[in-house]
Amino acid sequence: MRGRRLKVLLRNRAAVVGAALVAMMALAALGADLLATHDPETRQQVFRAPPSSEHWLGTDENGFDVWSRLVHGARASLLTALSAVGFALLVGVPLGLAAGWYGGIVDGVLMRVVDVLLAFPSVLLAVAIAALAGKPSLTTVVFAVGVVLAPPFVRQVRAAVLQVRAQEYVTAARALGATDARLLWRTVLPNCIAPILVLATLSTGIAILDAAGLSFLGLGPPETSPEWGVMLTKAFRYLLHAEQWILLPPGLAISLTVLGFNLLGDGLRDAYDPRSSYSPPAAGAAPPPASSTKGA
Amino acid sequence: MSHALRRILVTGPLLVAVSLCVFALSAALPGDAASSRFEKRPQLMEQWRKARGLDDPFVERWWRYVTGIVTRGDFDRSHLDDQPVGGELVAKLQATFELTLVALLLAILLGLAVGILSACFPRTPIDYAGNLVALCGISVPVFWLGMLMIVFFVNTLGFEFSSNRYDPDLDLRGFATGLVLLEAPLRGRFDVFASAAKNLMLPALALCTIPMAVITRMSRAAMLEEMGKDYATTARAKGLRRRTVVLKHVLRNALIPITTITGLQFGGLMGGAVLTETVFSWPGLGRYIVERGVQARDTPIIVGGILLVSTVFILVNLAVDLLYGVIDPRLRRGG
Repeated sequence: MRGRRLKVLLRNRAAVVGAALVAMMALAALGADLLATHDPETRQQVFRAPPSSEHWLGTDENGFDVWSRLVHGARASLLTALSAVGFALLVGVPLGLAAGWYGGIVDGVLMRVVDVLLAFPSVLLAVAIAALAGKPSLTTVVFAVGVVLAPPFVRQVRAAVLQVRAQEYVTAARALGATDARLLWRTVLPNCIAPILVLATLSTGIAILDAAGLSFLGLGPPETSPEWGVMLTKAFRYLLHAEQWILLPPGLAISLTVLGFNLLGDGLRDAYDPRSSYSPPAAGAAPPPASSTKGA
Repeated sequence: MSHALRRILVTGPLLVAVSLCVFALSAALPGDAASSRFEKRPQLMEQWRKARGLDDPFVERWWRYVTGIVTRGDFDRSHLDDQPVGGELVAKLQATFELTLVALLLAILLGLAVGILSACFPRTPIDYAGNLVALCGISVPVFWLGMLMIVFFVNTLGFEFSSNRYDPDLDLRGFATGLVLLEAPLRGRFDVFASAAKNLMLPALALCTIPMAVITRMSRAAMLEEMGKDYATTARAKGLRRRTVVLKHVLRNALIPITTITGLQFGGLMGGAVLTETVFSWPGLGRYIVERGVQARDTPIIVGGILLVSTVFILVNLAVDLLYGVIDPRLRRGG
C-alpha cells in the first residue's frame, strides 16, 4: 500500500519539486551553523554592502550579513511553522476524534466553537491572539498561528472519523472487546492519517506565510533576530531607496518554501485520494493521468 | 423549513457568540493603554475606571456595549483620550471594504477566466501557465508582492504613489458614504472616480492574488468535473457549439462550488488586507487595528475593529448562502 502511494507521489513531477524545495529548506535550517559565513546577529564592518565574496548576499542597514541571516531564518521559519502545525495537531486531532466518535452534545458544542472560530478572518484572529499573548516573540507567533490553524483539523478529523466509524472492521474490533480508547488509537486514527497528513503539509505553508505576516506587522520576534518576516520589515523601511535587491532574498525564500509545501501537499492528496484529482476528460480530450489535476 | 430561513436563524446566535468572544478580549488584554496613561497617578485610574464602568460585571458591560452599537452606533470611547472610536472605525471599514470588494471582483474576473481556459485546454501550456500563476498566488507573501509592485511601478515606471484614497484637494462635500469609488460615478463626479481608482489600483492588484489563485483552481476543477457529465456530452452531441456548452451549460453548474469558495475568500481578504494596507499605507481598518489598537494597546479599537470585520465576514457568508438559492433552484425548497 505505502509503496504504491509513494510511487504515485514520485511520478508526480510537481510533488517531487515540492519535496526537493522542502528538503532544501530543511537542510538549510539544520545546517544553518555550517552554512552561515558570519554570525547572523553580529554587526560587520560594512553597512548596506552589495554582494561580494566576503558577504555573499551583501549586508543590511544594520551591517548584518544577509546570507547568514537567510539560512538562520530558514531555521526560525520552519521551527515556527512546524511548532504551530504541531500545536494545531495536538489540539485539533483529539477534539476532532471526540466530536466524530461521540457525536451528540460533544459534537454539537465542539462544532459550534469551530464555527465561531472560523467566523473570524484568520490573520486578524492571529493579530488579536498575538496581542493577547503580550510581549511579541516567536512563541506568541507560534501560539497565534497554531490557534488559527486548529479549527480545520477538528473538522477534517471529524469528517474522517464519521466515515471510518461505520466500517465493519471497527464493529469487529469492538466485538472483540476493545475499549473506546483502544478503538480510537489503534483502529480509527490510523485510518484517518491520510487527510491529516495532507492538511498538515498544506497548513505548514500557510503557517510560514502567517508567521512572516505577523513578524512584518511587528508582532513577531525582535528586530535583530534572523527571521524572514523581520528581514522584510527592515527592507520595507528602505523600500524607495537605493538597495532594493535586499528585498529579494527573504521574499524568495518564503515564497519557495511555501510553494514547496503546497506542491508536496497537493501531491500527497493526489496520491492518497485519486478521486479528488480525477477529472473526467473534456469533450474530445484524452483521459488525464490521475496525478495531473489540482482540485482546490 | 426553507434553506434561507434556517441560515438566517443560525446567524443570530453566531453573531452573539462572536461578540461575546471579542468582548472577552477586552477583559483579557494585558497592559492596556490606560495603565500607561495613569502610570503616575494610580488613584485617578480608579476614578476613571469607575466613571467608564469598567469594573462592572462582564455580562453587564457586554450588554451595554452591544446595545450601544445597535441602538446608537456607539463603539465606546478610546482608552487613550476618551474620544468615541466609532466614527473612525466605520470610516476605516469603508476604505477596507472598498479595497476588498475591488480586489475580489478582480480576482473573480481573472480567476474565472484563467480557470475556464485551463479547463478547456487541459494539459496544454495554457493549463500549466494557469496552474503556475495560481500556485504563486497562494505561495507568495502578499506584503512582499506589494513591495515588489511599489518598486516596479513607482521606481521603475515613475508611477505616482500616494497614501490617500483620493486626491485631498478634491471637494467631496455631499458624499453620503465613505465608499468614494462606488459613489463617485453615481454622482457624476468622474474626476473623483479617476483619482480614487488610481490610488486603489495597486493595493487591489496585490490583494487580489490570494483569492484569484483559489478561484482559478476551484473553477478549473469544477469545470472539468461538469464537462465530463452526461448532459455536457448530450449537448455537444445534439450539435451545440462547444463555446455554448461551456459557457451556458457547464459554467452554470460549475458556479455552485465556485460561489462557495469565493464567499469564503472574503474573510481571508479582510484579514489579508491588514498586510496590504500596511505596505501601501492604505487608510483601512486592518492597519488601523494593528497600529492604533494592538501597538498602542487601545482596547476599544481592537474590540470594535475585530467585531466589525467579523460581522461583515459573517454577513457576507450569509449572503453567499442565500445566493445559492438563486444559482441552484434545487436548494430553494427544503435542502
